Amino acid sequence: MGYVWAGYGITLASLAAYAVWLLRRARSLDRRAR
Amino acid sequence: MWRDALLVAAKDLRIERRSRVALQQVVPFAVLVIVLFAFALDPDRGVLTRAAAGLFWVAVLFSALLAVQRSQAVESAEGVRDAVRLSGLDPAGIFLGKAIAVAAQLVVLEVVLGVGVVLLYDVEVAGIGTLAATMVAATAGLAAAGSLYAALAAGLRVRETLLPLLLLPVVAPVLIAATRASESALSGTSFEVSPGDWLGLLGVFAVVYVAFGLIAYGPLLED
Amino acid sequence: MKRSTTSSGLTISLGIAAAVALAATVTLGLTLPRTVEQAEYSRLIAIHPGIAWTAYTAAVVTALASLLWLLPRTRRPSWDLLAGASAELAALFTALMLVTGSIWGRPTWGVWWVWDARLTLSALMLALLLGYLAIRRVPAEPEVRAKRSAMTALLAVLVVPVNHFAVTWWRTLHQDRSLDLTPEDSLDGAFLGAMALGFLAMTLVYAWLCVHRFRVARLEEAREEAFLADAIEERRREAEAFST
Repeated sequence: MGYVWAGYGITLASLAAYAVWLLRRARSLDRRAR
Repeated sequence: MWRDALLVAAKDLRIERRSRVALQQVVPFAVLVIVLFAFALDPDRGVLTRAAAGLFWVAVLFSALLAVQRSQAVESAEGVRDAVRLSGLDPAGIFLGKAIAVAAQLVVLEVVLGVGVVLLYDVEVAGIGTLAATMVAATAGLAAAGSLYAALAAGLRVRETLLPLLLLPVVAPVLIAATRASESALSGTSFEVSPGDWLGLLGVFAVVYVAFGLIAYGPLLED
Repeated sequence: MKRSTTSSGLTISLGIAAAVALAATVTLGLTLPRTVEQAEYSRLIAIHPGIAWTAYTAAVVTALASLLWLLPRTRRPSWDLLAGASAELAALFTALMLVTGSIWGRPTWGVWWVWDARLTLSALMLALLLGYLAIRRVPAEPEVRAKRSAMTALLAVLVVPVNHFAVTWWRTLHQDRSLDLTPEDSLDGAFLGAMALGFLAMTLVYAWLCVHRFRVARLEEAREEAFLADAIEERRREAEAFST
């Protein structure tokens, strides 16, 4: 079952990390534009 | 276009004859790679003999990288780009000429390397015709794709590290096909996929990249 | 909490839909019954095929956007930005596909990797995508960079069928392994449902990420142009100061 957790975990963690990075970049670009 | 191509090819080959970069650097590099493989793998000649075709083509791939980068570097020298643009040469012809020059150098390299592999890896050649055909077809594809990607990466500062990353995945099918076709020439037997099929694949690859190069070289030179 | 400019009604709806679908997929997937062939490992069916499908879709979007940019009649900077955004996501999903596939394969096949046609082709696709992303990162004028990127994308597309034949023929010589991850006895009811839900969830996640990524790219372009405009303005003022 560990493999299943690993699979789901890595997927969700990667997607979340990318999303967070993306939104923070958007925010920082906003700040500089203003 | 053909006239321009031959002009450019002759120019490139003349530069090579005078500077001897391919002869004095690329060919020794390729031979070195072959020797290093022998060090890395079990000197038990069984392994080397079985892997000979693949190792040969890997060495050719790496050498092609160098040859193509050198071919492009010649164009990036001071003032050359503007001179080429002003010369009125057909860009498709320039592409063809450079690819032909690279192909010629690669063929020479392959012959030398082939002899080396036969000697050093204890290999017997059963089908020299198949080998020759494979070399021609694979080299055409490598030269065309390499010249095209070298032009794509030209003028960009990280060119040396970018080109291998771009080119190697693209020529992976050439490696697969050339190795399989060569293997059947070396062992005399062929497996489920006949060497003819592999040669056909190499031919398709070459046609695609030559065609794309002829079309795209002009727009690329404009920048 | 102030909303960033990449946010909008579209992204909020997409985001909520994606989150809901993803949560449902995970819940459903983790509670799937065990199968005879693969015990509980077949639960990965909820995410792996969906990730693979999304990876291919993202790559196709990049290819189409590149084509649209190259054709003079449809050329717009937006296509170039979309191609780049989608390629980044394609790389992410392809990498995830390889990782989840590998994790699924380890307990079922016994190895982390096999050189079968599908995995090899996927690895090649990832390599092609990374090359494309690398050429996008090289500093150059937007037009130049867009042109080279679009050509790189199209060349990568052209080589895919060649790759397909080469790798498939190559691996027909070694037919010993059964290469399917999805076990025979699981293709019914709950499993198919979970897989379908996974497809939906991953596609929604991709869409949401892609819109944001595209808008971020557009903001970055705008910032570059603003810098350039400022620098030119500076020079102009300096020149005027000198001449007066």
